[in-house]
This record gives sequence, C-alpha cells and structure tokens, in this order.
Amino acid sequence: MMRRAIPETLLGSLPVVLVLALWQGLTSAGMAPPSLLPPPAAVFSRLAQQLTDPVFLGHAATTLFRLFAGFTIAVAIGVALGVLATGSRTVGALVGPVVRVLAPVPKIALYPAFILILGFEHASKIALVAADAVFPILLATYQGTSAVEPKLVWSALATGTSRRKALFTIVLPAALPSVLTGCRIGLVISCIVVFLAEMISSTNGLGHLLVYASRSFRTVDMFVPLITISILGLALNAGFNALRARLLAGFPEES
Amino acid sequence: MIAIEGLSKSFETARRSSHTALADISLNVAAGEFVSILGPSGCGKSTLLYIVGGFVPPTEGTVAVNGKPVTGPGPDRGPVFQEFALFPWKTVLGNVMYGLLERGMARSKAEERARALIGLVHLKGYEHFYPKELSGGMKQRVAIARTLAYGPSILLMDEPFGALDAHTRTGLQNELLDIWERDRKTVLFVTHSVEEAVFLSDRVVVLTRSPGRIKQTVAIGLSRPRRRAQLLVDRRYQTLVVDIERLMDAPEEAP
Amino acid sequence: MTPRLTSTAGLPPLLACLGLLALWELAARVFQISGLPPAHEALRQLPALLADREALFNIADSVRRMAIGFGLALLLAVPVGLLMGRSRLIAAFFNPLLMIIYPVPKAALMPIIMLWLGVGDASKTLVIFLGVSLPVIYHSYQGARAVEEKMLWSAAAMGMRPLQRLVRIVLPAALPEVFVGIRTGLVLALITMVTSEMIARQAGVGNILFNSLDMALYDTVYAMIVIIGGLGFILDLLFERLRAWLVAWAEPVHQIAVGTS
Repeated sequence: MMRRAIPETLLGSLPVVLVLALWQGLTSAGMAPPSLLPPPAAVFSRLAQQLTDPVFLGHAATTLFRLFAGFTIAVAIGVALGVLATGSRTVGALVGPVVRVLAPVPKIALYPAFILILGFEHASKIALVAADAVFPILLATYQGTSAVEPKLVWSALATGTSRRKALFTIVLPAALPSVLTGCRIGLVISCIVVFLAEMISSTNGLGHLLVYASRSFRTVDMFVPLITISILGLALNAGFNALRARLLAGFPEES
Repeated sequence: MIAIEGLSKSFETARRSSHTALADISLNVAAGEFVSILGPSGCGKSTLLYIVGGFVPPTEGTVAVNGKPVTGPGPDRGPVFQEFALFPWKTVLGNVMYGLLERGMARSKAEERARALIGLVHLKGYEHFYPKELSGGMKQRVAIARTLAYGPSILLMDEPFGALDAHTRTGLQNELLDIWERDRKTVLFVTHSVEEAVFLSDRVVVLTRSPGRIKQTVAIGLSRPRRRAQLLVDRRYQTLVVDIERLMDAPEEAP
Repeated sequence: MTPRLTSTAGLPPLLACLGLLALWELAARVFQISGLPPAHEALRQLPALLADREALFNIADSVRRMAIGFGLALLLAVPVGLLMGRSRLIAAFFNPLLMIIYPVPKAALMPIIMLWLGVGDASKTLVIFLGVSLPVIYHSYQGARAVEEKMLWSAAAMGMRPLQRLVRIVLPAALPEVFVGIRTGLVLALITMVTSEMIARQAGVGNILFNSLDMALYDTVYAMIVIIGGLGFILDLLFERLRAWLVAWAEPVHQIAVGTS
C-alpha cells in the first residue's frame, strides 16, 4: 500500500505544480502584465499579510456569520421536512410537488426578491444561503430515511416504541450517512453562495472585497478573497468529513 | 396461544392488478409449541409471520394472541429477521439493551440483564463491538439476544439462519434448541429448509407455492432434547425429511 | 438515483405551482410591502416581457451561452471522468487538482476572467464551462469506478479492445450515474449563467433582473424571476424525460416508505 501511495501523491501534485509553474512562467516571462495576472509570490504574500489584518478578518467573520446562519436554517428545515415527508403521507404529498417545482429553480434568481423583502443587510444573504442549501439536505434526508430497512423499524416497534418516536430515534439515525452527505454538499454550496451574494450586492464580506478591488483594478486584491473563500470551503469540507467519520463510527464504510 | 383464522393477503402490484400472497390460512399454535412454516420461495411464508407480528395488516381474516386480536406490533411477540436488522449506530450492548430501556427498565439493571444475555449467546467480550465488526453468525446471535432481552412470550423467526453458511447454520440451530429448552417459548419459525424444520419443530406447516395455502401439517413426534448426531441416523427423522420433501415436490391440486 | 420527491410528474407539480402563487398573492396582500407586489401584477408583466424584442434577445443570448458552455463541458468532462474511473493513475493525477478547484465559486472568477477575455460571450461561456465540468467529471468517475469488473472481463474475453470497452461497456454501464452528474451540471449551468450576468451587469437575464431592481420596476423583477424559475423547471423536466428514455433499463433505486402503512 505505502509503496504505491507515495508515487500516486507525487503524480497528483504534478498538475497542481504545473498550474503554479505556468502562472509563474507567464508572469516572469513578461507575457502577462501584473495588472492582468500578478505573480504568485505577490498574491500569496498579500494573502499572508491580509490574514493578520483585523479589517480583512472582520470581513471574513461577516461572511462566516452569514454562511453558518444560512446553513443552520437549511439543516433545521431540510432535515425536519425530509424526515416528516418519509414519516407522514400527508407531509410527503405536500412537500413532494413543491420540492419538484422549486429544486431546479436557480435560487440566485430569488436574490433580488430577498433584497426587496428583507433589505440589503444580513437577512437577504442568509435567506439566499438557506434557500440554496436546503434542497440537497432535504432530498438526501428524504432519500436516506425512505430507504431505511423496514425491519429495523419493526424491531423497534416490537419492543413497544411508538411510530412517531421510531421516526426520530430509529429512522433518522439509520439514515445518518445519507443525511450527513446532504449536509456536506449543503455546506460547500453555502460557502459558494454567500460569496456570490456578497459580490452581487453588499458593502462588506469577502465577496464584496473582490468586487471592490476589481472596480479599482487592484488585481492582487481580487485574488486574495477568492483564495480565502476557497481555502475556507476546503477546510469546512475537511472538518465536516472528520465530524462525519466520528458520528458514523458504527456504520459500514461507504464505497 | 396464537389463533390464525381465515387469513388472506393480497398486494397491489405496479400494474394495479392485485397479487394474492396468502389465501385462507387457519392455524392454531399452542403455548410452548415450536411450529415451522415451510414452503418454496415466494409462497408468502414470511408475510404470514409479519402479519402475526402486526407489522403488516391482513387483507382478510384475523390473528389473535392469547385471545386478543393483533392490531400492531407488541412486546409479547419478538421478531428475529434473516437480515439481522441490528441498529448499526449502537454497539452489541446498546442493541441488546434497547428493548429493555424502551420497556422502562433502569439503565444499570438493563445493562446487567443485557450482559447476561450476551453471555448466553456466547458473545462475552464483544459487548462494545459495532455490528459491522461481527460475522453473520455473531450478528444473528446479537439479534436473538436483543429479542430475548425484553422477554416476549412468542418468538417470530423469519428465516433467521438463511443468510449464514452451512456450518454456522447448524451451530446456531443447536444453540437455539439449547436456549429454547430452558423456557420453551412459543416459536413460529419460517424456513425453506426441510431438515431445519424437522430438526427444530414440534409441527411443520407446509405451504403451497403462490398463493400460499396450507398444504399439509406434519407432526414431528421426535423426542426432546434432540441431538443432531443421533437424529441424523434416526430412521424416523430420515423418513420425515424424505416424506416432507416429496410433499413439497408433489404437484399442487387445483383449489 | 431517482428520488420520488424530484421525479413526480403531471398534476401535483402544477398544483404546487398554483399553491405557491396563491401563497405569494396572499403574503403580498397581508404584508403590503412595496418590495413584494401581488403575484397577479407580476404575472401581468409576463406577456409584455416575452413580447419585448430586446428582452427576448437577452434571454435567447443567455440560453445560447449556457448551451455552448454546457455542451463543451460534457464533451470534456464525460471522457475524463470515465477514464479516471477506470485507471488508478489517471484518477490519482486529476483528483488533487479537482479537489482544490471544487470549493472555488466559479461565477466569482467572472471579474478576473473579464480582465483577460473582456465582458463578452467568451468570459461567460468559460465560467459556465467551468461550473458544469466538475459535477459531470465527479459523477462519471463514480459511475465508471462502480462498473462490475466481471462485465469488463467478459468483454475482454469476447475480444474487445480497451477503447471499445470504454465506449461500449463502461459508458452505458455508468450512464445512470453520469446522468446524475449531467442533471446537477444543468442546474449549475443555469445558476452560473444568471450569477455571472448579475456580476458582469452587461447583458442577459441576470442583468435585466438587477437593472429592473435599480429602476424600481418591481413587477418586472418578479416577472423575470418567474421566467428564470420556469426555465429551470422546464429544462429539468425535459432532461428527466430524456434520461428516463435513455436509461429505461436501469434498475430504479429501491424506495420503501416507512412510518405509515
């Protein structure tokens, strides 16, 4: 295993190194003026400098707040509706067609409506994040809960557990792998959407920093927030995977 | 103990025509009796068990346990499924304790009883393993312990050894008889193996292929406690097995 | 991978549409906010908007860019994904790069790409291309990886060459999963299209949305939202039909209703 793993890691780092080398080559050969493509060193040193700047960190904190507020709302609504749609025919019959209509709608198109109703501040961005993240979570929860082996539920009902209690103490835990997969997709979507919302209309946050820099053609400062949000996305994804592994200790490995 | 009266079950199929799985089953099982339901695959024998368990409603007819009609699952009837249906997020101990806690037993007392049962099924030392870390035979031992734990007066066993290899299977048959000899619970045991049915039961109910009707009921007059090695060379055992196999192969008379 | 919640067709979704419109109308009448005109006022703008040549051109332009970006992405992403699924080395080569690109908001590249390629079609098409490629690669990869090894052995025993096996065995076998990726890609194409236009603010449906917002033409804003929503729904519906027709042989995922009986 180990002997094979090392060359594969090398192989995998090859395209990443190539991209960086191409970037460096283009700038140092003078083929790309720094106003269009700043050299990598300039971007990364600026990034390092910004990460200690309280103003920049304040913008990042604003973005994170909106991200988690929207994501939390999406998890609460998505998981609850997903479980209830499995547990109750009535809820399923109501939720099903509405999801069918709303899921393929590009939620970003609702952003102007959210701005009109909720204003230009946090609320409209949080609403957009929640609207975008809720559907993968809801669908994954519904799929997971409706695919739970009925005999698992029967085993619980036989001991005297009520159907309602079994829905949350047996069906939901049994569907946890699927629910958490949906949440992880929702988390990455939240990360992307909050940034885009801030780019389209905001006075603060990382997305706003990118647009602000582009208006004054400070190219280096356009790269920095973009890289920050991408690293944030990677970190959240990795963190969530670690959490998932802990929570799913008893479940068989997924292929 | 169990009184099944004129039971039929039909399912709606995809093309909206109805498929009859069970037709006109009437059967009485006495307290402490070990009865096997034997039939070819697709004869609805598992469905019969699910109806007695209260997991699936009958289309026609009634089931009564101790004179009370069955309307849903209850802790007087403990199921053991071919699929084990263990809770993957709970350890062996957690699975066995589940029913006890649901019945309102205090945690420390439940743990004590669960540990005793885990010892009874020869799994001492595996208390903190997750189901995924156990072999098929061990999983089914846990499932049996989980059901025995809350003390149902009737065991409903749905091809419990069907997913196991031949060696594990005979081992568990012996263990089941050992456990059964201790308190002689009423057992309804579904299987498609003639040897298994004859070895375990007081009575074998042979069903016809779809729709499942009672073809014949055969009393197994072999003395107890039974020992596999003695039975295999016992003329009466051999005759019973051959007779029932012939009965199963015999063409079905038109209803 | 056909969850019942997203594959019901016919009357229920129509009723859901009407229900949502009624809810909107009700909310507008109860709350009386200027930012939320009643549904019927917004819907009244639809014919005018769809008859307006300029608006129609804008919508058609957006859809054309989306189709080109989407098409190009499929041409590249499906083969790359399938190859990754069948070769450990190719997978090891691409995986880390794709993992790094995965959380980058593609539409956010718009201002940077605009620096290089200008504000025209090329930038927007490229962004859509990037947005669609990733999910399609990922699902094609998963689909190809899950192809039963013995099926390929049988094909090899019949004398099929590696490329033949990839096209005639791996592609059809992975098709149900590839379609999951394409469906995600389709939704993402539309999202990226609208978002990039909102950021570039130069042409297209996204631009109309925010121009109307700036000019306080709230009815038009909502009418445009309805048009984009309808576009998303119709594209998804058409795609579902196509998918159902092409992979009719695939076993539907077993769905058991638990809880009520």
